[in-house]
Amino acid sequence: MEKLKICHLYPEVLNLYGDRGNIRCLERRLEWRGMQAEVTRVGIGDTDDLTAYDLFFIGGGQDFEQEVLLQDLGTGKGDSIRSAVKDGKVFLCICGGYQMMGNYYETHDGIKCEFLGAVDFYTKGGDTRMIGNYAFELEQSSGGSTVVGFENHSGRTYLGSGVSSLGHVLKGYGNNGTDGTEGCRYLNVYGSYSHGPVLPKNPAFCDELIATAIGRRTGNRPTLAPIDDSIELQAHDTVLQRVLAGTAGRED
Amino acid sequence: MSNKLRTAAAVGICKAARGALRLLHRGGTTTPGKLAMKVDSNILETVSAGMDIIVVTGTNGKTTTSNMIEHALTASGHDTLANKSGANLLPGVTAEFTSHATAGGRPKQHYAVIECDESALKQVVPKIHPRVILVTNLFRDQLDRYGEVMHTRDEIRKGIEACPDAILCLNADDSLVVSLADHVPNRVVYYGIDVPVGDQKEAEISDARYCIRCGAEYEYTYHTYAHLGGFHCPKCGYSRPATDVAVTAIEKTAMAGSDVQMRIGSDICNVHVGLPAVYNIYNAAGAVAAYTAAGFDRQEIFRGLADVHSSFGRMETFDLDGTHVQMILVKNPAGCNQALAYIAGTGEDYTAVFCLNDRTADGHDISWIWDADFESVCGDPHMVSVMVTGDRAEDMLLRLKYAGLGNRPAEIVRTNSELIDRMKQSSLPVFVLPNYTAMLSLRADLSTITGKGAFWQG
Ligand SMILES: [Zn+2]
Repeated sequence: MEKLKICHLYPEVLNLYGDRGNIRCLERRLEWRGMQAEVTRVGIGDTDDLTAYDLFFIGGGQDFEQEVLLQDLGTGKGDSIRSAVKDGKVFLCICGGYQMMGNYYETHDGIKCEFLGAVDFYTKGGDTRMIGNYAFELEQSSGGSTVVGFENHSGRTYLGSGVSSLGHVLKGYGNNGTDGTEGCRYLNVYGSYSHGPVLPKNPAFCDELIATAIGRRTGNRPTLAPIDDSIELQAHDTVLQRVLAGTAGRED
Repeated sequence: MSNKLRTAAAVGICKAARGALRLLHRGGTTTPGKLAMKVDSNILETVSAGMDIIVVTGTNGKTTTSNMIEHALTASGHDTLANKSGANLLPGVTAEFTSHATAGGRPKQHYAVIECDESALKQVVPKIHPRVILVTNLFRDQLDRYGEVMHTRDEIRKGIEACPDAILCLNADDSLVVSLADHVPNRVVYYGIDVPVGDQKEAEISDARYCIRCGAEYEYTYHTYAHLGGFHCPKCGYSRPATDVAVTAIEKTAMAGSDVQMRIGSDICNVHVGLPAVYNIYNAAGAVAAYTAAGFDRQEIFRGLADVHSSFGRMETFDLDGTHVQMILVKNPAGCNQALAYIAGTGEDYTAVFCLNDRTADGHDISWIWDADFESVCGDPHMVSVMVTGDRAEDMLLRLKYAGLGNRPAEIVRTNSELIDRMKQSSLPVFVLPNYTAMLSLRADLSTITGKGAFWQG
């Protein structure tokens, strides 16, 4: 296979909370298996042809900077993203980038901000932030592995009827703190509140994305060769244990 | 109870609580202040009345900059109060002033240097009426407590708005800090570094890429580090202001410190900064700006900078049975990158120790380690071996794997005593980079062994 083409969308704006760990993880896990990744940063004002990419990554951002971004989406990039979604391209969308894929964001005072509408869900602002280490189990359709991460969001996301969740919460808040769902999975869009470097510590989730992207490209979803994940799993397991026991992130 | 009695009761309870906690060998930086505030809600205003106070806030460099100013004042014979313990929230600041007051609640000292947490500024400064407020810089820090760097900026702004008479000392190279001067009546003194530092490569991660006024992308005539440098907005013209105090040349940098040229107004002065690394040059420039703005003699601060000691876990050195150990507190990507660049630039073999906790005072979110440039040390052949420790040691090790640790010896060490034993056995100098609570606990254990004082003994 040729290089897997990864598009890092809006890296200059949506880069909060260590998102670049996810890009590194995708690159390395391909390299470690003798494959190659080519990462292109596509930012505000760039008019790249998005049909060339296999996998898109969109991270989280600061509110102040999101206005800049919504203007840019209106210039045609929004249409290209919606087409890529319909085309079955793989998207990993985190936190603010996840919310952006939905229909709209309604603030606490009832002001509606129209988003991409690439996936049928919406987000409502809340007055408290949902913060902390958390864990969820991916639905079988997304591989079924357990993911540990960190969430920090005041928006509450509610999925539309044709959209399934990425996983169900084992401990923490997830989409809205009430219905037990976390993230979304629609076609090959994987949305999650697990911000920052979610992939390095959750190698099975990273491999799910890689296998889906290669499968989409070649028509033949591969079984990826195993690699030495002992350091990854050690990090995954110790945090998972603490999250489930409620002892992650001590007060003192 | 009359006001006088209430004040005296608050002072009494504060001193008693502090004394008791110290007998128990605990720092006791919060409880005494809380108790005093409970007895007399106005206690901080009373016990600081009439003092000349410099307040230092900002993401990085608060402690070191305060230490520089305090050291210069004390060495020059000005009797000065300072919150050296790093207790920089309202209760801690209250305890510091209250326990140094007379039994009747009058200040014994005339001068104070107070480092203040960014979000606590708005609670502290309306009560102590500082003459000078110095803002060092604004970087992403401890995200889960404050949300975003813009939020932090707004918090500082609330503090400034409560003090229209204070002189602001602002870092001219930081677009976020400079914006604090917008539409306030305060007199402003700007300081900065007028010349490029480092490789002039634009940081991949910037905490302030877009104009705070109009949203256009900044352009830079030069960079110093992170988002600091000669910024200007091509659309609205918002730009780095002219500097009143500026580093105009960096003559020499070494482990023992830096020699720089500094311009104050139109005078050029040669200054030795007795602590290494670029960020301490910024701290020194900020200290000079605040010191002179407060009306003190510049020669005093120059002398102070030349023999300033490292403060509490920041570039502090320990001799551990012959092993040279240097501890550098790291809390966020910008500060961490500077520390990593410093140790990767020493040119001698060393062992690196990374201590990562995720407790409340650290921020529960450790995602920032992925924004810090651990690649710089992993690419340094002089980093011979690595130890990791702390609540999130496993995450730290994984980060180092991605940074290119390769097959260098690297191990997870569980306890401070085990770590100290390992460092004693080391034939190489050791650099320890802990985050906040990891620093506190390791420093306490190192101090016990090496006979260094606890923080309240200064
Ligand atoms: Zn502008």
